[in-house]
Amino acid sequence: MNAKRLFGSILLMCMLVALGAGCAKKTTDSMPASATKVEISDKDTDWQSKPAPVTRSLSEDEMRAAQREQAQRDLGNMIFFAFDSFELTPESRDVLSAKADAMKKYSLFNIVIEGHCDERGTSEYNLALGERRAKASQQFLNQLGIPDSRMTIVSYGKERPLDPGKSEAAFSKNRRDEFKLQN
Amino acid sequence: MKLKTWILTCLLVLLFAQSSKAGEVLSVDIFGPGQSKVNILVLPARGPGGPGSSALAKSFSENVQSDISYLPFLRLAYMNEILGGDPSKGLKADDIDFKPLQLGRIDLVMTVGGQGQEIEARVYETYTRKLLLGKSYSQVDESGVPLVADRFAAQLMRVLTGKSGFFDSTLAFSKRVNGGKELFTGSALGRGITQITNDGGFNVSPSWSKDGRYVAYTNISDKGHRLGIWDRGKRISRLRKFGGNVAISPTFTPDGSIAISLSINGHPDIYLLDADMNPGKPLAPSWAISVSPSFDLSGRKMVFCSGRLGGPQIFLLNRDSGVVDRITYEGNYNTRPSLSPDGRFVVFARLTGDGHRIFLRDLVANQERQISFGPGNDEDPSFDPDGYFVSFASSRNGGTKIFVTTRYGDPAKQIPTGAGDAMAPAWGVAPALN
Repeated sequence: MNAKRLFGSILLMCMLVALGAGCAKKTTDSMPASATKVEISDKDTDWQSKPAPVTRSLSEDEMRAAQREQAQRDLGNMIFFAFDSFELTPESRDVLSAKADAMKKYSLFNIVIEGHCDERGTSEYNLALGERRAKASQQFLNQLGIPDSRMTIVSYGKERPLDPGKSEAAFSKNRRDEFKLQN
Repeated sequence: MKLKTWILTCLLVLLFAQSSKAGEVLSVDIFGPGQSKVNILVLPARGPGGPGSSALAKSFSENVQSDISYLPFLRLAYMNEILGGDPSKGLKADDIDFKPLQLGRIDLVMTVGGQGQEIEARVYETYTRKLLLGKSYSQVDESGVPLVADRFAAQLMRVLTGKSGFFDSTLAFSKRVNGGKELFTGSALGRGITQITNDGGFNVSPSWSKDGRYVAYTNISDKGHRLGIWDRGKRISRLRKFGGNVAISPTFTPDGSIAISLSINGHPDIYLLDADMNPGKPLAPSWAISVSPSFDLSGRKMVFCSGRLGGPQIFLLNRDSGVVDRITYEGNYNTRPSLSPDGRFVVFARLTGDGHRIFLRDLVANQERQISFGPGNDEDPSFDPDGYFVSFASSRNGGTKIFVTTRYGDPAKQIPTGAGDAMAPAWGVAPALN
């Protein structure tokens, strides 16, 4: 019985080895050697052997640029409005609340709030409406403790649409406030 | 036999009509009720002594006919409407057989002659055989032909209607350039298109001073809104920043002040600037948006657009009494009014189910009518200095272009402004830049 089991195990191992060898052979045969090498070296070794990004100290300008980039990412979320409206939606309020926190975090940066409209309104009225939209954000952020002096407003009306399309989907993207870091 | 009798009868009727009209000169009341069309036939250009005409005279004739096509009260007749074809042997009354013209119901006939750089043109009234207008031009070169033709068409309009603001005005408008907008000027027929600003950002809402010396406008850039004033004499523009966040729709009053929408009190209201460009008290203040002021020639009436009762509507301020009247009740979105110089008519853009359309409201008769019909959006209506033509921007042919109609809603004609979107046309009395 034991001898039979032993024989069975040996046979199974032989088959596995043969199968493995066969596969290996096939791989090495069908792929160029360099490609295989790249695949292997790509696994863990390269990541570990890469120099860590913090080994070199960044200059002040670089740090500021990196911080600015991060601040723009954290502050850049747009908010959107209904047609001919400058009322903040509950979603917009959430976005603005997060923005207020980010503005407290990045106290070195001031922002420009740009009010935009879709092309359905007429040019001059839209310039006023865009201002109302930007103002709505400014007032909300002000209530959350951000001083007005850190926020500038520019209304572009319908001059700079995000999406040049003529559908409601495009229009709804264009009725927005954009938030940019002041230069 | 029947035909002969019919022709004879017609001739007798015409002779009678002619004798009764002998003392009158044709005039067209473009403002009267039920505008009538006057038929004009332009005879083929010819040389002074015979049929051989110069190329310049032919080009002049074509240009005048193109100009006439902008005047809805004139209809260009075709030669095949005249029995026997060209009824003339020369350029003057004695050389023209007026009878077939009278039979063909042609009211006016124009002759054009040319030799070398000389051009002469005459317009006769066919029923009285009177010379309505005769002009000769010398030393005309090819590039000058359209301008000479425009002058002739202007004089013809003035002889017929007493007005020629359409030809004598210069349009200022906003046009897309390099991702922004700059201001341009040109004649109402699109001649001499010239870029006048180079500020960067978006230059919008041009408005001429009544003397034609300045154009006020809004410049929008990352620096915010600024009031721009272009000086025609110096050919430079200056930008001025105000408190608050906006400087929208600057408009010259007839006495040379500027009315502009500023948000110095927290929301856009219309202010009159003094000589030092300081805003005084707001005109027709409210808690809501007020933009787009437009004045009559007296400067005492001002129409404007305001959201004080909800959606944007048109209101009229009587500056003497301070009373503000709402004047649009239909539609939820009525914007960008322009008041006729006599203060009787207001044109404005209304958002309809098919897009924005231009409507006209008669403030005396208290009636309203649509004067533009799309498709696309028709915006930025503006009265010409005579209160007869109305220019506007329309997206009917794809991109936005400038069109002109009349306050009667005649078929709109496009004003050539070159490549690129053009909008916000404003009429000024200044002659075209040279």
